Amino acid sequence: MSEAYFRVESGALGPEENFLSLDDILMSHEKLPVRTETAMPRLGAFFLDRSGGAETDNAVPQGSKLELPLWLAKGLFDNKRRILSVELPKIYQEGWRTVFSADANVVDLHKMGPHFYGFGSQLLHFDSPENADISQSLLQTFIGRFRRIMDSSQNAYNEDTSALVARLDEMERGLFQTGQKGLNDFQCWEKGQASQITASNLVQNYKKRKFTDIED
Amino acid sequence: MDAAEVEFLAEKELVTIIPNFSLDKIYLIGGDLGPFNPGLPVEVPLWLAINLKQRQKCRLLPPEWMDVEKLEKIRDHERKEETFTPMPSPYYMELTKLLLNHASDNIPKADEIRTLVKDMWDTRIAKLRVSADSFVRQQEAHAKLDNLTLMEINTSGTFLTQALNHMYKLRTNLQPSESTQSQDF
Repeated sequence: MSEAYFRVESGALGPEENFLSLDDILMSHEKLPVRTETAMPRLGAFFLDRSGGAETDNAVPQGSKLELPLWLAKGLFDNKRRILSVELPKIYQEGWRTVFSADANVVDLHKMGPHFYGFGSQLLHFDSPENADISQSLLQTFIGRFRRIMDSSQNAYNEDTSALVARLDEMERGLFQTGQKGLNDFQCWEKGQASQITASNLVQNYKKRKFTDIED
Repeated sequence: MDAAEVEFLAEKELVTIIPNFSLDKIYLIGGDLGPFNPGLPVEVPLWLAINLKQRQKCRLLPPEWMDVEKLEKIRDHERKEETFTPMPSPYYMELTKLLLNHASDNIPKADEIRTLVKDMWDTRIAKLRVSADSFVRQQEAHAKLDNLTLMEINTSGTFLTQALNHMYKLRTNLQPSESTQSQDF
């Protein structure tokens, strides 16, 4: 209750994203490799190297490979697969899945797409035959990395934490911040700062004018 | 919960003081506070004790568990056991902090007591982390932890519940989802 602003949580891990969540908006902007199953008229203006040329009405021919953001791919995807077929990005495929199961802690999840878990969970909507393996791999990766996140977030007090969070993805960074907040709260209480009145961080930037200024 | 809120709850604990003023029995909503006679010990809630001490109207007596040998025994017992041992008071952390900050002149060997209590706290928090990690690793459905105090739960609780929430969502993805409504063009 001492928070000034409550952010809308990301729903990406669950069945559907939250429309108003900023994290989800950023996550669904990541690109996904797709293959068109039908020709798309006039889209060739955007993908000049793939278009069929002016005589086919600048269409993107069937079977060409594009990279579309997740929100667009999800909207166009249909169970009868008339428009798109989705390929899984490399990190959700067999090869990387074995790397994760071997040791999840060494992987730099921030480089692999900063929204590894969210994007992976939303990928399950595309009905790939590997869905069960992907979701199992996401879960096991998280479990494997949990210990390190917990230890580093609960022990780093008043330090520069950029080295610790560098290899975490966005969801893990949120967890790290929660852990840090718990730790800072406790330390601040122990030092006695909890009973001191401090300016709220909402108004710290307001420059108060002196009374004499107002009088002039 | 904030740490400050837990401290507020801890201030209801009774401690013994020796007042230097006299006052008849006072009747408060929470209970009666017995007559105050100078030099005679009386039991009052911690909030009143701290307030009287700050106004220099009393002398605080340390609780009987706040003694170096006893705390050393408890600390060693805590280090040996793998589970949590019962603590001398469910609010040992808050009592230590408040009493040692406001009344360290009434408590013998205050620094050692502070160090011992901090050791006990660190041991217990470490045990809590190990148990949280094994809980997550084996994806247990529920766990039971005896003898945890509210302050310990409060410090690590938010992180643990958030992590378990994420894990739960990832786990429900394992079940094949029922087909969502899709529009036909």
